[in-house]
This record gives sequence, structure tokens and C-alpha cells, in this order.
Amino acid sequence: MANPLPQTVTVPDTALISAWQRGDERAAAELVERHARPLARFLAGAGAPETDVDDLVQETFVRAFRSVDRFRGQCQFRTWLLTIGGNVLKDFGRRAARRKVVPLEEGVRDRTGDPHDHAEARETEDLLAAGLQKLPRLQREVFLLRAQQGLEYDEIARALGTTPGAARVHYHHAVRRLKEIVK
Amino acid sequence: MMRNEEGDARLESLARQLGARAAEQVDVDRVARQVVEQLRTQPEPRATWIQPAWLRIAAMVVVLVGTGVVVGRLTTGQRPVVSQHAAHYVADDLNDLSADELRDVLTSFDEIISTDSAVVPDSSSDLRGLDAQQLREVLRAVQGEVS
Repeated sequence: MANPLPQTVTVPDTALISAWQRGDERAAAELVERHARPLARFLAGAGAPETDVDDLVQETFVRAFRSVDRFRGQCQFRTWLLTIGGNVLKDFGRRAARRKVVPLEEGVRDRTGDPHDHAEARETEDLLAAGLQKLPRLQREVFLLRAQQGLEYDEIARALGTTPGAARVHYHHAVRRLKEIVK
Repeated sequence: MMRNEEGDARLESLARQLGARAAEQVDVDRVARQVVEQLRTQPEPRATWIQPAWLRIAAMVVVLVGTGVVVGRLTTGQRPVVSQHAAHYVADDLNDLSADELRDVLTSFDEIISTDSAVVPDSSSDLRGLDAQQLREVLRAVQGEVS
């Protein structure tokens, strides 16, 4: 009988994915626990209203697990998950627009409404969040993957189906525009 | 305006903080439970668009119906539709008309002839001298229905 792995050894994501595909629900829960917060940061940074972040994180994981057969390890699981989160957020924005509920950009503007009521850090963060909403989606996602999540251009390019050079150009365009806003 | 390197560093620092508050508020355990529960209990929703199989079937039906219509026209109709319609007029309707009714039709026909000289040659005025039976035969001849 094989000895169980020591607690300190971290099981790789790919092993957890395989375990989930074999029906191990605990593996799915472990993946959620590992990646939920970075995903929430990404979604909030990309414009998700704070009140909806929980639901969007959940929807992203469900969508990811249901299509996990399409994950070929071309990038890290987390990076792949973040790109799915971007799609989930886009769909959320469409649904909100159809229901005439608070649109994504208004949600962001609400947070920037009265800067005097917030700390300076929050004010600047809100300014950045509002600035990100003005960027094209690809520029926004490349910026967040690079600056917020700390990913390399190669990894970003593999996740978004582009080249590292193009990812670098998108990033620099985003930075140039955001610096104009956050000055 | 920020200087380049300083500005980049500040922006990246801000970006790292972005969404931190929202992330802290996420109840990870609850989300994990709900995700697993949803995967377990709710089947994957079927796509709302038409399945490709149905599209193929619909395309086959359209092709079959279209082919049937074309073949039907080619095999049953030797003449153009307009001719068939005109023939129907002459062969059926004129036979049903009494002599007086036929005379009225021919009177109308005369009026048409007299007002449309560009189409009907002057010699057509000779038609006025024909009796009903002769005119009926002339009309049938015009439609290619001479018996």
C-alpha cells in the first residue's frame, strides 16, 4: 500500500484536474480554494461590482470545470481560469445591460463618486479601476495579467492566443493610457 | 505627468492592490462548496442554439422539397405557366359562355384592339365580321388551342 504524501507537498494543479476528471470532488474544491482569491482580484480589477464578485467567481469555476477537457496545459491553470473569468464578466455585462440593471461602468463610477469619503489609496485605486474600463478588453486583460497577477508575456500570450510581442505592445499601450488617467 | 519608470512602478503597485478588498471578502469555503454542489446537481445546460444535426436535417428537407418542385415543373408542365393560365381561360371559360356572353367578351376585345393599335395590326378589325363560333376558334388559335 502506497504511503500517503506528506502534508507539506503541494499537489500540482494538473494532478488535481485529473483527480476531478475521475470524479474527485475534493480535488475540485481544492482548486477553488487555491485560485478563488486571485480570480476575485482579477474580476474586481476588470470591473466586476464588488457585490457580484462571489457569484462571478463561482460561475467562472463551474464553467471552467465543465470545459476542463479543453485545457491542454498550454498555460497555467490559473491563467486559463482568469481568461474564462474575463468571458464570464463580459457575459455578465451583457446580461446587466439587457436587464437595465446597474451596468458595469456605472458600478465602477459609483465607487469613484465621492473621493473625499475615501482614503487616498482607495481613491487612486478607484481611479485606476475606472481607467481600466476605458481600455479595450484585450489591453485591460493583458495589463491585469501582467501588472496585477505578475505573469510573464509568454504565459499571457499563450493564454490569450497571441504572441508575446503583441502582448507586450498591448501592455505598453495600456500603461501609457492609464498613466494619463492616474496622474 | 509621471516620469516613466517611477510612473510604471507606481502603476504596477496600484494594480497589485486592485481588487484586494473584493478578494478578501470572498468566502472561499462557501464558494468551493457551492461550485461542487452545482457541478453535482445541475446538469450542463444544453446549448440554446439549434444543434448541427437539426440544421443538417432542415437543409436536407429544403433541398428535397426544392428538387421536388423543380422536377414536378419539368415533368408536368411543357409550357410556361402564363401559357397554361391563358389556355385555361380559353379552353374552359369560353366554352362555358353563352352566345350573348361571348359577344360581350368579343366587344371588350374589340375595344382593346381599337385602343391598342401599336400591338394589334389594322387587319384585326376584320374580326368584327366573324360570328361567335368563328371568334371562339380565333381566340383558341391565338392561345394555341385549336381543336
